[in-house]
Amino acid sequence: MKSKAKKDVLNEEQKLKWIGKSVKRIDGPEKVTGEQKYKTDYSYSNMVWGKVLRAKYPFAKIKSIDTVKAEAHPDVICVLTYKDIPGFNGFGIVTPDQPVLCEDVVRCTADAVALVAAETVEAADEALDLIEVDYEVLEPVTDVENAMLQGAPKLHKDGNIHSHVTIKNGDIDAGFDEADYIFEHTFYSPRQMHAFIETEGGWGRMEEDGSLVIECPGQYGHRDKLQIARALALNPERIHVYSSPNGGGFGGKDEITVQIYLALLAMNTGGRPVKIHLSREESVIAGIKRHPFKVTVKTGAKKDGTLVANKVRAVADTGAYASLGGAVIALAIEHASGPYTIPNVDMEGFCVYTNNGIAGAFRGFGVNQVCVGIETHIDMLAEKTGLDPIEIRKKNAYKQGDISSLGHVVKSSVGTIETLDKAAACDLWKNRDYYKNQVSEPWKKRGVAVATSFHGVGMGIGTPDYGAATIELLQDGKFKVGVAIEEIGTGNGTVYAQVAAECLKCDINRIVVVQGDTKQTLDSGTISASRSTYTGGRAIATAAPNMINLLTEEAANLLGVSVSEIELAYDRLVDAHDHTRFVTYEEIYESLHDKHRSKRVEGHFYLPKEKEELKNSGGAPHHLYGYMTHVVLVEVDTLTGQTDVIKVVAIPDVGKVLNPQGLEGQTEGGAVMGIGYTLYEDVLIEDGYHKTKNFTDYIIPTIRETPEIETIPVESNEESGPFGAKGIAEVVMIPIIPAIMSAIYDATGARVYHLPATPERVYQAIQESKPQSLISR
Amino acid sequence: MKVSEATLVSPSTLDECLLLLNDQKHSVQLLAGGTDAVVRMKEGVWNPDTWINIKNLDALRYIEEVNHEIHIGALTSHTDLVESKLINERADVLAQAAKEIGAIQLQNMGTIGGNIATASPAGDTIPALFVLDAKIELRSLTDTRLIPIREIFTGPGRTVKKSDEIITKIIIRSQDEDEIGIFEKLGPRKAQSISIVNVAISLKMGEKPRECLEGKIAFGSVAPTIIRATKCEYMLKLNPLFDDVIHDIASAAWKEVMPISDVRASAKYRRNMASSLLERGLYRLMKRWEEQ
Ligand SMILES: Cc1cc2nc3c(=O)[nH]c(=O)nc-3n(C[C@H](O)[C@H](O)[C@H](O)COP(=O)(O)OP(=O)(O)OC[C@H]3O[C@@H](n4cnc5c(N)ncnc54)[C@H](O)[C@@H]3O)c2cc1C
Repeated sequence: MKSKAKKDVLNEEQKLKWIGKSVKRIDGPEKVTGEQKYKTDYSYSNMVWGKVLRAKYPFAKIKSIDTVKAEAHPDVICVLTYKDIPGFNGFGIVTPDQPVLCEDVVRCTADAVALVAAETVEAADEALDLIEVDYEVLEPVTDVENAMLQGAPKLHKDGNIHSHVTIKNGDIDAGFDEADYIFEHTFYSPRQMHAFIETEGGWGRMEEDGSLVIECPGQYGHRDKLQIARALALNPERIHVYSSPNGGGFGGKDEITVQIYLALLAMNTGGRPVKIHLSREESVIAGIKRHPFKVTVKTGAKKDGTLVANKVRAVADTGAYASLGGAVIALAIEHASGPYTIPNVDMEGFCVYTNNGIAGAFRGFGVNQVCVGIETHIDMLAEKTGLDPIEIRKKNAYKQGDISSLGHVVKSSVGTIETLDKAAACDLWKNRDYYKNQVSEPWKKRGVAVATSFHGVGMGIGTPDYGAATIELLQDGKFKVGVAIEEIGTGNGTVYAQVAAECLKCDINRIVVVQGDTKQTLDSGTISASRSTYTGGRAIATAAPNMINLLTEEAANLLGVSVSEIELAYDRLVDAHDHTRFVTYEEIYESLHDKHRSKRVEGHFYLPKEKEELKNSGGAPHHLYGYMTHVVLVEVDTLTGQTDVIKVVAIPDVGKVLNPQGLEGQTEGGAVMGIGYTLYEDVLIEDGYHKTKNFTDYIIPTIRETPEIETIPVESNEESGPFGAKGIAEVVMIPIIPAIMSAIYDATGARVYHLPATPERVYQAIQESKPQSLISR
Repeated sequence: MKVSEATLVSPSTLDECLLLLNDQKHSVQLLAGGTDAVVRMKEGVWNPDTWINIKNLDALRYIEEVNHEIHIGALTSHTDLVESKLINERADVLAQAAKEIGAIQLQNMGTIGGNIATASPAGDTIPALFVLDAKIELRSLTDTRLIPIREIFTGPGRTVKKSDEIITKIIIRSQDEDEIGIFEKLGPRKAQSISIVNVAISLKMGEKPRECLEGKIAFGSVAPTIIRATKCEYMLKLNPLFDDVIHDIASAAWKEVMPISDVRASAKYRRNMASSLLERGLYRLMKRWEEQ
């Protein structure tokens, strides 16, 4: 059965013209030359500037807000507070617990208290200074464990635990009884920042017909529209959101950023367009971040390498508001025992409110934080037993049709074992002793390690997940392919063009892709959850036959033959009996146009789901997962603790690779983001105030920290996907995290449990592991 | 003062610049590469009435050897230093320090005069200037004075330079054939990073293996200003610099520094790193010396 499926793909592959090829990015030249205009790059002659007054304290009651002086400023157009919100004063993707503008309390320094529109940025800043807010300062809640205690000050009326999820399978106590070895450790993870090149910002504008236009990068324009409508008490049909392209997203623009502020201001500027563009400093404070986790993991294993029990307790700091925190902790728990068949698991997660900024969606969505526990323990087991770390992983990995640690049968494709086989066979792993000996100075130590992980594709159970695409024949014989899912840097638009050209059998230059436009495109869900290639691709592949039918019918009419006698040839439709007789797309357009017939078709597609949700899991399991193995080589300067990642081998199981160049873009970007997470990045907050202000102290990798990265894809055909594809965008940054941690250990004998593994932390761990001397020569 | 209300003037000669600096009515500030100035302006920390843009005063951009000394114009960019044959041969430690500044873009824009005037305890060229016995020429409309680098800094961001003065040149000693130097920097990453600790070393070597006749060591980022490590300097002369001696000297370094804790590193780590960087630097220097 499986081998037959493979053969089909192979056969088909030979016929494929666009799929599987490194088709150049359709937006490549503009991006490379800097010609690409993001929303925040534009300006209008009659524009005004919007600014947001943020909370002065991380936790305080608002006693009064006085805007009189600010309003009197000659260059100020309007000053708005909660009183000026026509609709519901709140937003949040799942739980709208974040006020648009605070009324009686502020819960973090990201909170917005007032809005200003003024003639210049300077005037807007001055006006912010003139707004007088009288606060009663409260003691901030900054530690998740303390926040959960009885008696801690409550941030929200239901208390500080936003959500609690559990997954249990088997008998955990019996599992540990059976174990020959038990490992238990607590891991801390950083508050990573998305650090996109384009900070949050955009435009709001009232049109003459009274409709509202919001041009603002985002990851789900159709949902942004609904959140705006709710706050404005406005018919959503009167709101148009243009949300593409994004100067990077990574989850950081999944939630509302400034869209509602723009909308409120635009309604109060007398028709003048209003722009907000956060400075990097404001973005650091106001933007959502990755949830810092505290994860305690206890793993039991037998001498032969069989994992028998895994117990996990994860606590996520969601900051002052939920955003997607509940979903993040649920996904974390779903993945916390790895892509394995551990018969006894007991996992629970808490999503907890504190006054530490706001956390939300971020590439990896909780899996980054939890994968380190199980993977580190497997490496410890390998060391204890002398077994090969790859063999232990293979021994415990589930295959398609097996029962996972969660207790469900995995029906979709699973490539873990193949990725591990490729890891075992790769040059870096085979010759690791050679590479480790290549140190240039006596105090430098090198280490090699491997790790594997997985990541769900699409939404879990309970969250409807669908895709939709339109294809419209244009006058010039091109096809306008509309998919609402935004371009956020991934290159999904190029894949959409490839899928459309392949399905329609036409030249790729005939495809015009429209994304992130609520007026022209149908709701197709988010650009998140590693779903956009899979979902958008399937939606286009569903719409394409409808377009082919439309073309065929009209061609039959024009050629005076029956529909069955029309053949879809490359870039034209021909008479099957006489190939010299054909019609062009332009001719078909003209004919349809003359008859006043629609030239637009739609395709709708519902993502496959599991039937039964694991009780209390918050949405597990997923139907589809992408799998991935990383092998890394690091060099540690034991004098300073500086760690250098020198080589990375990225082995993703992505289903069919639709665009190899795009895949490498993801594996390389993911590896670098994973390196940043593991070694450098953290937004430090103390007592509710940001210690990290901007990129001076938020250290992201530069090209000099970028190692050689090799990509070896495993193509486990996913039958439900477009041409066999799955999702890739998140898993590419995950196993590299524990791999680097273990490679540091392999190099130095020191383990760091608190990420990022900064030079200081690594140095300290080395000192603690062998306090006798600075260098061992 | 609003940023939008500030004026910018671009003198075309040094004399014109000195006149502008002598302005009694308005606050003025020099703008060279702008890599510190623009950042501080944005932060609202520096907002004079008038910016005096000296970036194009090419008369202050030169590197030349004069009587066994090297004269460097204040507007010399870090890239100029990195690419100068003279600096690489006769003041290697300064060339290496300039190469560690930010990244290429910063090195192209930033100047040595700006690095000194900013007076950051983490400024990367400054320790190199300390071990090269730099003298700084300050000029005003009425006066010219030459100040040893050790006397220039009074605290973080503070110098003895008066508001009507400009740094015109930097004079350093030219290292002889038997002299050798190195700059070591520890930042949170390899490029675009502020030093957690840095150290400059310049040694005069003797005839015997690894014999050091005299040495100078200056640390950055471990005290309110750059400091010389005099105890370690003394120890350099006691024994040939074999690895165990290097280790002992380096171990003493932490006693010479008095760092603070901040978001970048703890005081304890900085102390340890003073030792580590000194050890690494001396080890590398000796290796290079033996290979020469
Ligand atoms: C991203 C980034 C990375 C950086 N990395 C480093 C680094 O790694 N190491 C490091 O040491 N520095 C670094 N810096 C700081 C800065 O680049 C250097 O200090 C640079 O040498 C400053 O020179 P400038 O010509 O740009 O000075 P400017 O910004 O033009 O001026 C700085 C100050 O010096 C004064 N000034 C300038 N020239 C003179 C003069 N001739 N006489 C009197 N006063 C003068 C100005 O009035 C101003 O107060 C970095 C800065 C940035 C933005």
